[in-house]
Amino acid sequence: MMREITYLEAVREAMSQEMRKNDDVFILGEDIGVYGGAFGVTRGMIEEFGPERVRNTPISEAGIAGAAVGSALTGMRPILELQFSDFITIALDQIVNQAAKIRYMYGGKGKVPMVVRTPSGSGTGAAAQHSQSLEAWVTHIPGLKVIQPSTAYDAKGLLKAAMDDDNPVIFYEHKLLYKTSSDVPEEQYSIPLGQADVKRKGTDVTVVATAIMVHRALEAAAELEKEGISIEVIDPRTLVPLDEETIVKSVSKTGRVVVVHEAVKRGGYGGEIASMIAESEAFDYLDAPIKRLGGAPSPVPYHPELEKAHAPQVPDIIKAIKETLNKA
Amino acid sequence: MAKEVFMPKLSSTMQVGTVLQWFKEEGDSVEVGEPLFEIMTDKINIEVESYEEGILLKRYYDVDDEAPVNAVVGYIGEVGEEVPNTPPEVAGEKAEEDESAEPSVNVITDSSNDTSLVEEVADENGGKVRATPAARRVARENDVSLSLVSGSGPRGRVHEQDVVMYIDRNKVIVTPLAEKIAKEYDVDLSQVTGSGSRGKIEKADVLAFIESQKAASSSVAPATGERVKLKGLRKAVADKMVESVRTIPHVTLTSDVDMTKVIEVRKALLPVIEGQTGYRLSYTEIIMKTVAHVLGNHPKVNASLVEDEIVYNNDVNIGLAVAVENGLIVPSVEKANQKGLAELTEVSKTLGAKARDNKLTPNEMKGSTFTISNLGMYAIDGFTPIINPPETAILGVGRIVEKPVVVDGSVEVRPMMVLSLSFDHRAIDGAPAAAFLTEVKESLEDPYSLLV
Amino acid sequence: MKKMNVPIKITDDKLVDLYKEMWLIRYFDEKVDEFFAKGMIHGTTHLAVGQEASASGVCALLDVEDKITSTHRGHGHCIAKGATADKMMAELFGRTTGYCKGKGGSMHIADVDMGNLGANGIVAGGIPLAVGSALTAQMKKQKYVTVCFFGDGATNEGSFHEAVNLASIWDLPVVFVCENNQYGMSGPVKDMVNVEDIATRAQAYGIPGVVADGNDIVEMMNVTDEAVERARKGEGPTLIEAKTYRWKGHSKSDAKKYRTREEEKEWRAKDPIKRFKSQLVESGLLTEEKAEEIRLAAKKEIEDAVKFAEESPMPTLDDLLTDVYA
Repeated sequence: MMREITYLEAVREAMSQEMRKNDDVFILGEDIGVYGGAFGVTRGMIEEFGPERVRNTPISEAGIAGAAVGSALTGMRPILELQFSDFITIALDQIVNQAAKIRYMYGGKGKVPMVVRTPSGSGTGAAAQHSQSLEAWVTHIPGLKVIQPSTAYDAKGLLKAAMDDDNPVIFYEHKLLYKTSSDVPEEQYSIPLGQADVKRKGTDVTVVATAIMVHRALEAAAELEKEGISIEVIDPRTLVPLDEETIVKSVSKTGRVVVVHEAVKRGGYGGEIASMIAESEAFDYLDAPIKRLGGAPSPVPYHPELEKAHAPQVPDIIKAIKETLNKA
Repeated sequence: MAKEVFMPKLSSTMQVGTVLQWFKEEGDSVEVGEPLFEIMTDKINIEVESYEEGILLKRYYDVDDEAPVNAVVGYIGEVGEEVPNTPPEVAGEKAEEDESAEPSVNVITDSSNDTSLVEEVADENGGKVRATPAARRVARENDVSLSLVSGSGPRGRVHEQDVVMYIDRNKVIVTPLAEKIAKEYDVDLSQVTGSGSRGKIEKADVLAFIESQKAASSSVAPATGERVKLKGLRKAVADKMVESVRTIPHVTLTSDVDMTKVIEVRKALLPVIEGQTGYRLSYTEIIMKTVAHVLGNHPKVNASLVEDEIVYNNDVNIGLAVAVENGLIVPSVEKANQKGLAELTEVSKTLGAKARDNKLTPNEMKGSTFTISNLGMYAIDGFTPIINPPETAILGVGRIVEKPVVVDGSVEVRPMMVLSLSFDHRAIDGAPAAAFLTEVKESLEDPYSLLV
Repeated sequence: MKKMNVPIKITDDKLVDLYKEMWLIRYFDEKVDEFFAKGMIHGTTHLAVGQEASASGVCALLDVEDKITSTHRGHGHCIAKGATADKMMAELFGRTTGYCKGKGGSMHIADVDMGNLGANGIVAGGIPLAVGSALTAQMKKQKYVTVCFFGDGATNEGSFHEAVNLASIWDLPVVFVCENNQYGMSGPVKDMVNVEDIATRAQAYGIPGVVADGNDIVEMMNVTDEAVERARKGEGPTLIEAKTYRWKGHSKSDAKKYRTREEEKEWRAKDPIKRFKSQLVESGLLTEEKAEEIRLAAKKEIEDAVKFAEESPMPTLDDLLTDVYA
């Protein structure tokens, strides 16, 4: 049964359905109890599942991240909500040095099935310490998987896959997408990790976009269609593992590619995607330099206009596409 | 930026095209691929399709007018753009190529297997061709030299579409049967003139070509005698000569030189230089010194012709034709105009010896900008030397022989020598070549002028 | 004859076994020290010679189902929690028969099946893990206790404070064992901590803090027994501070400029193994001859472990990419 729900509801529904089925799954995080989480994702869950399984924690990101890792290692399947993805800085020892490496360090013994859910991105006026997109950091760590859903449908299916996965998975939710909605089946379903989604088919230029940039790329594509320019929009959905095949296939077809994300361009995951393309068989089909769009090399500013200018917007994407077509 | 409409070259023999009709009036909008005008060549009538889109801004040729291949016959651009009232110079004579200029179409598709061309050709900046990976792939697959393709992208970057268009325009159209026969007989199709529609090569064309080649070779082949396979250095010399004679319109000028003073100079300097270097000064070095000096005043003669560009060389590097067993080698004396006679003697003698001993390095054989070929040791007065491409001129030196000449109204016996200058008429015109040779003659007759 | 004052569950046989275990720990580390000095094994290692009583004393009270988290100085904890010297030595030799198939090395020896959740290269890195493990026990209503070993240096890390607080507010079945060996690498504890006893830090989190003589295995067993029982009953965590001393440097190539040879001599005099032997002999559980026999047997076992390690196969390059993901 399909019906339209929001991205936020989709995340909650994915967790609740799994928690009803599997007693090993629980969620822990700051203010996720009666408060319902900073963005309201867990609203109503403590009432259904109780304070044991919807575990309100002290403000101790290192401690709760480690507790999640330890419980996963010993048989639970925790979901850790980090209130803002910026706070991952405080939890990184546990995520990077412990969760990601335990299985390998222990020679294949033990596993860490946990999901770190965390909202990222700018656009809320929360400024420099509550607006970052730091996903590239965790993509760099072997042992972690990294997901960035862009729609309610993808959020529910990917979160199910993340909860089913026996590895630590970082699940980035975009704050501005919480209120967006799409058709989502009521029943549980899983979207395999490492499977990109072609959000729009086209022939002239491939745009690889993540999270909220998927929507901006689609808007740009609709604009350009009026000028007879046909854009293919690919949403990788999971950064690790990355569906290289779908991207390479598309770029081989179009010969032109723009990679766009909200994270600061320098050192952003777009560089990884661009390099992957350049190293792939798509190279010989490239008919324009690979173009990257990303956040400005500054902290996210407070002023609304500056904040907007920090991240790629629809006109920026249109301009970049036209540049690859020598039409700018 | 308005784009030129060119008279295309549709066959290897086509020189001019006659406009039969225009399908568009000035002010009409034109789409890529739309027929623009119809022309008649020496073989066929054909509709020329537009490579550009926009407004036909200008037509320079009316119906029944003849336009040379590559001539700009019109412009396509945007409303309000200014274009010249008279057709601009044919591409290649322009000082600077417009970055968005149409590809020059007077070149046939390079059917050789020289892939190094694809990778290493120089652009106007002396660097490599700017081309996208896709353009490179298509060029590679179709054996097209990217240097021949004009890029439509920023700073002349060649895109895939540019190469595709280039191939389309320069395609050798051939029937499958003709292609098969050509392959069997190892015939280069770009040499064959097609008689079919749009210059299509048919079986009969290939057969006719094969017959003509046979006839040409059989007419010169001796019935008996020792046969030596053309190979090695002999083959290289042969190929180079054929290439030079086939592609370069040679013109040879001759001039008599009174060598009285050169002989004096040699007599005076010979012991000095021999003392310094151990080598004996010969006339070749004095002529070389003179020629190098004069070349500095005549940059047009110190030029190379590379692809469709004339390169006016900064350095004066004199090639010295050296006869060796079974061939001819031309080592290069670098920056000869900056060397004194002692150094020139030492360098020339060393290079000559190395050439005869087959010990020249590749570096010593390249970079010459002008060659001197001296047959003065034989009973030769004048001859027509063949240019050593990409150089554009060569000086042939004959023997010094006493002849009666008229000096100040009376007949005197003077040691005379004939200089023969061959030059590439594509790059150098008669007058500048004559001026150069005249100055060489005058300098040799008054070598002290070199000291000025 | 003087009856030993040990927890009820510690039998006489167990005491004799513990004596051997302490020798195993000592000889293991002495052997490793020798191999490092000879360049026979690479990387780095941290030796706990002189600290055997806390590892053996604490783990004596644990069952197979109970868990521990360990530290970079963890060989003793592993042996005390049931790891065998052969597979440990194989790991240090980088062999596929090692506990981590040669991919973890000295600082990452783990045996999840035996309840050893792993040594840890990050100071205080294992403390939150232990809390997570205790959380599982509580949520799954399992009876196991998690013991968390760490050093004095770790108690200045934020993770320690966050984790102890979590365990306290949730009454988790965990025992925090701080082995205060007087130095965090080169940093003397008296310069780095402004309280006499680290155990008093427990007060800040509302849990009991106990100071124990870390070189007295009997005392270690007794304080651990109480803490473990408390944890099992759901009464929450305890912080035990075991005052001890590491005889060797922090890791290899440590000139030990930060302490005096006199201080080392004083602590060597408090050798926990000699002390335990005296207690065993006094109580009639062991004769000198029997004790010597046990010591030599332990030594032999380590020699056998070396042989096993040396004869074990090396990993292949294909192993590089295995076990990155489950």
